[in-house]
Amino acid sequence: MRLVSVCDHVVEPPDVWTSRLSPDRWGDRIPHVEGGRWLVDGRELPLPSAGALLPDRAAKPQRWEDVPAAAWSPAERLKAMDADGVDCSVLYPGIAGIGGETFGRIEDAGLELACVRAYNDWLIDEWAAASARFIPQCIVPLWPAEAAAAEIERAVGRGHRGVIYPAIPMELREVPHVNEGAYDPIWAACERLNVPLCIRAGSASSIKVPQPEGMSPAVAAAFGSISGSTSMICVLSNLLVSGILERFPKLNVVLAGSGLGWGAYAWEYVDQQFTANGLLGPGHEHLPSELMRRQVYLTGWYGRAGIAGRRFVSPNNILWSTNFPLATSSWPSTRETIDLAFAGVPDTERDQMLWGNAARLYRL
Amino acid sequence: MEIKYGLMSCDSHGQLGRDAFTSRMSAQRWGELIPQVVEVEEEGERVHRWSVNGKVLPGSVVNCPALMHDRRYYPKRWEEVPSMAYVPAERLKALDDDHVDAEVLFPNTPVQGGSFPIPDPELELACVQAYNDAMAEYAHTSQRYIPLALIPYLSPMETITAEVERSVKNGHGGILMVAAPEKIKGAKPVTDRSWDRLWATCQELGVPINWHASSGVGIGLPRWKGYDEREAHTASTGHNYMGPCQVLPALLFTGVFDRHPRLNWVLAETGAGWLPHLLERCDHEWERLHLWTEGISTRPSEVFRRQVYVDFWFERSGMELRHIIGADRIMWESDLPHITTTYPDSWEYVERSVQGLPQEDREKLLFRNMMRLYHLN
Repeated sequence: MRLVSVCDHVVEPPDVWTSRLSPDRWGDRIPHVEGGRWLVDGRELPLPSAGALLPDRAAKPQRWEDVPAAAWSPAERLKAMDADGVDCSVLYPGIAGIGGETFGRIEDAGLELACVRAYNDWLIDEWAAASARFIPQCIVPLWPAEAAAAEIERAVGRGHRGVIYPAIPMELREVPHVNEGAYDPIWAACERLNVPLCIRAGSASSIKVPQPEGMSPAVAAAFGSISGSTSMICVLSNLLVSGILERFPKLNVVLAGSGLGWGAYAWEYVDQQFTANGLLGPGHEHLPSELMRRQVYLTGWYGRAGIAGRRFVSPNNILWSTNFPLATSSWPSTRETIDLAFAGVPDTERDQMLWGNAARLYRL
Repeated sequence: MEIKYGLMSCDSHGQLGRDAFTSRMSAQRWGELIPQVVEVEEEGERVHRWSVNGKVLPGSVVNCPALMHDRRYYPKRWEEVPSMAYVPAERLKALDDDHVDAEVLFPNTPVQGGSFPIPDPELELACVQAYNDAMAEYAHTSQRYIPLALIPYLSPMETITAEVERSVKNGHGGILMVAAPEKIKGAKPVTDRSWDRLWATCQELGVPINWHASSGVGIGLPRWKGYDEREAHTASTGHNYMGPCQVLPALLFTGVFDRHPRLNWVLAETGAGWLPHLLERCDHEWERLHLWTEGISTRPSEVFRRQVYVDFWFERSGMELRHIIGADRIMWESDLPHITTTYPDSWEYVERSVQGLPQEDREKLLFRNMMRLYHLN
């Protein structure tokens, strides 16, 4: 059984940006670690989560020295993958934002681009160069779309295989609504270069309900993780009506960390509302479910509901992952998790969801 | 109650007459602040609108497209509204036409989202009481109607619980709440411990808390100005289960259900097919993070199957995945008279949804679960 985990996270070491950005030009604004936290252009961020590797999964490392090596070292990561039966791993960022959102908040376009490029270069130099089992994906400057498209072009030229873009760019800084045609250069670049556009669940705060007061760190971690994946529901319903998929029929969109189990209902429900509103016709040539089947991928990592409901979503549109090294990760029992989720599923379908679909998307 | 058709709707919408509030509230005290139908000018036409708290509400005077000749048409004037929409005795004909035995009644115009947008607590209370009294007329007309009471969010808790007790005594079968009361200035989030007295009251009375559709959670993408009305409606209602889907874990993970193990909660008009996701998602985190050591003693999916209900109206996915949800936890809804309703062909939809289900599950989903929950004997 082969497995591509389509959603894992790197943890960036402290020197990713300090060793690549000009101190003369950017000084203290360069992302750096200071006293157990990151400072990004004056903004404080905690060290990224690596809960799966800690005895207490809800714990947050307080010092860089406490971050386990499998989080940041490619060599150690490969050993962790071997132990868990993972062949290939598609990489998302840590401090650069699990959905590539961190630098989108920087108002200075020059600094934003420098930070983005440093991440993209580092990932190729340190991870992609270490093993072909790592599948690197680039982040992009948020806006303007032409700048994002240019960086996509450059990064894919350097070996990146996917493009990570924030779900709600408008919540990061003053930019147009994501449905506007002004974003088309980004979608066009992904389509032209045949790399998937990846939207990572949980990175957009405006589509998650606020955390109730008084939760312990572990309960809060659980709550945040759940609202993160379910927040993709509105991203999908908007995407299916937005016209983006109609304009770019060969664009593939991966909803990373979405979970699978709500897909069966979304599949039926958006069609129901679309039809009740009489939308099928000029401007909307396809039912939402047809667009979904043609261009959208959902991602599972636990449970059996999503696989049980594959008659609706279709095995063509299902990807699997481990979410390493987040607290929610199936690591180190990914094989057992898969056995439970895929019990009774024919081998060809299982291979398609664990390997074939990802191999097609990432041209393995 | 006689079971004639074997189909009950746990989510329909009952309209009040235009004088429901003016005939029950003191004109001397509240004057034009009383909810009432007013005539306004719109694009050169004289149209009717509801006015609440002296402010004219947007949207049709009655949301009842399914009862109009053209199902896409929303009445502009009160005279256009069929009396079947707001006269309880006449509405029974619609139920018989659609072969539906009974229905739970959520509000219709001018109540939007389950609360009155009124900052004055006394006026809010007066409106809520008038609403609850007027809706009780449905229950007094026929036991086939199960109206739900509203609560006055800005009143002290003893006033809220007293209003619930009074309404249930007067024929209401449960209460309707918003899932994000904190959006009403002065009200606390649903996870706040101050609500425990209300939960205890409802548990004691044996009536469920009901959420409806997005339940006023109000999260989602900002509206895009490039959408027309129908596109905006599709994109936004297309995710209306997302709010409850995120707030339900907040209830599960703050111990509301374990503190009130006989309290029932209904998620209406959210569909059912996504529930397997949420239950497994919550269980997965509960296991990964050892939440039983954090005071969340019961596995989330067990709590759900003990105390929470969902419904369906068009779908097939929730039916096929019912073993993960629990066949005792699913009810049917018609949503009469709103745009997505299955009326007047409800049985066509029903047969498509429940095709192939064993008779026992079929009866549970179509009426037995609802009879048990709302004590319909």
